[in-house]
Amino acid sequence: MSVEQKRNSTIRVNNVTLAYEEYLVLENVSFDVEKGKCLFVMGGSGCGKSTLLKSMVGLLEPVAGNVFINGDALWGDESDMTQVLREFGVLFQGGALWSSMTIQENVALPLEIHTDLTDCEIEDIVRYKLGLVGLSGFETYYPAQLSGGMKKRAGLARALALDPKILFFDEPSAGLDPITSKRLDDLIIELKESLGMTFVVVSHELASIFQVADDSIFLDAKTKTLLDKGHPDFLLRNSNCPEVIDFLSRHDSTKH
Amino acid sequence: MNKDFKHSQGLDNGELNIPKLEWKHDRGAVFINISGTWLISCNERPRVLRRWDSLLKQGTDATVFNISFDDSLVWDTSLVVFLRGALQEFEKQKKEVNFEQLPHGINKLLKLSKIGKVAKEKSEIEDLTEDIEKFANDLPNYFVKPVTFIGAVLISFTELVSGKSEMRWNDFIDSARKCGASALPIVTLISFLTGLTMAFVGSVQLEKFNAKIYVADLVSLAMVREMGALMVGIIMAGRTGASFAAELGNMKLNEEIDSLRTFGVSPISFLVLPRTLALFIMTPLLTLYADIVGILGGLAVATSVMDFSAIHYFEQTQSALTHMWEIYSGVMKSLFFGLIIGLVGCYKGMNSGRDSAALGKAVTSAVVVSITFIIVTDAMFETIYSYLELR
Repeated sequence: MSVEQKRNSTIRVNNVTLAYEEYLVLENVSFDVEKGKCLFVMGGSGCGKSTLLKSMVGLLEPVAGNVFINGDALWGDESDMTQVLREFGVLFQGGALWSSMTIQENVALPLEIHTDLTDCEIEDIVRYKLGLVGLSGFETYYPAQLSGGMKKRAGLARALALDPKILFFDEPSAGLDPITSKRLDDLIIELKESLGMTFVVVSHELASIFQVADDSIFLDAKTKTLLDKGHPDFLLRNSNCPEVIDFLSRHDSTKH
Repeated sequence: MNKDFKHSQGLDNGELNIPKLEWKHDRGAVFINISGTWLISCNERPRVLRRWDSLLKQGTDATVFNISFDDSLVWDTSLVVFLRGALQEFEKQKKEVNFEQLPHGINKLLKLSKIGKVAKEKSEIEDLTEDIEKFANDLPNYFVKPVTFIGAVLISFTELVSGKSEMRWNDFIDSARKCGASALPIVTLISFLTGLTMAFVGSVQLEKFNAKIYVADLVSLAMVREMGALMVGIIMAGRTGASFAAELGNMKLNEEIDSLRTFGVSPISFLVLPRTLALFIMTPLLTLYADIVGILGGLAVATSVMDFSAIHYFEQTQSALTHMWEIYSGVMKSLFFGLIIGLVGCYKGMNSGRDSAALGKAVTSAVVVSITFIIVTDAMFETIYSYLELR
């Protein structure tokens, strides 16, 4: 990777092919995510969006190709991977909070493991992060005591714990009502603008895509490839792929 | 030509509501008129379908089939399914089909249910061959995966000893409490009843030789050598091993293990090590406790049924357990039982599938495999003790 590319591109997915044992999910997918931008991964159900995300966060090794985070290869040496993993946070679909711990313990754990901060400092940071996502006062609650939206926000606070430069979201709007979903979108925009973070969001929530995305890619289940790439508005007007137009044009119809 | 339809209107009162099918064969063409009531609830439908099959056989020479529908037709899914089947049959025989006055709704539903590729049904032999092939392909995994897992636990344990582990001691204490102190009531009950049963069985046999007092020897030796460790092992496998598998399997299902990995935290150090270590330490302690309670079970029988004094019983027990090795031999076994249960429970949980059925399977498998390994290990220990003349 050249110095210029490394400077501009935070994430590079290079010719990645993904499969579950013998079942091919995606083939030769390549794209870049620019620093400080929000990229949406779109596509119909079963097209491999979440699988692609898994390979980008170190959970599923590609059959071929590699993912580069800030120029460092994610897949290769395991000790390097641990270093790369600390550069990003992940918000899973259901929040994936550790059920045996309180919300405070959930957010504190990455700080306890990866930093030398004192308990007092960790507590302050945890309170701040929970306040950021509107969960002040819920520190002692267990995940089972929270609603779906609150779990996601707590998951976001945990993902933000180590001040990552990159955040990955897996279907952030799934199972949320439109108002909670919009609040989460607004939070993404605020974090992007105030902290200059880079976002990769897997979603097929059109309202979120048009509101938040700076860039997007469209994956196709039939061809198992990346069909098109660009800003959603641009794709809606100029894409050569009917699947992409069909997918995005539902946004206009849902407005009425 | 389409027209409005009467969908699921129900039966008209006073009219005989049955599905009707009129068939006219004329110079290479067949004219079919569909009328009456085509509802799933109609008992006459199977008779009409049988008639349809026989009519189809008669019309094999016809090349064109014209199907019309009566104005008063009442229909539901049963008619759509019938037409869908008929169309498939005509398509297979390459016949021309024309519809007259096809109700609009039926037309739409037929288009919606346009037949795609139907999954090929496999024969039992094909199924069996596939299963054998899958088993053969997965065979290395049955050895490689557990060995990799044990290796990862060993590395994690080495890290713990060298002070580099991510294991939280709070988790270890919590696991130790759950699998130790919380198990005391069930261990007490089972061990007491085991001692009691052995004393009853022994007393009957020993009475024949006028050696009733040796019931104390029988109970104490059986408990410390064998039954204490074995009963605790089986209780722990069913109670704690299953709970480890369910807990970790559920964490996998909820992506909690994935989220640990994305933070660069090893699930082995964080989840497996504290649980396995807790069980490794608590099982021998519970075994010692079970030995004592089992001996007390024997005492209950000796004093209440056999009229021995408690002091007499304890003196006899003391003389039977003169060598501490008797106790150590059982405790040593229990160390391995604890390790087996912890490792198997965690392995099954970490490797369970991502659905609730797979979780149930993982829990069952954890219990069955643990108990099997416990029995095998117990037999191996006894063989070794016997070979080394330690008994």
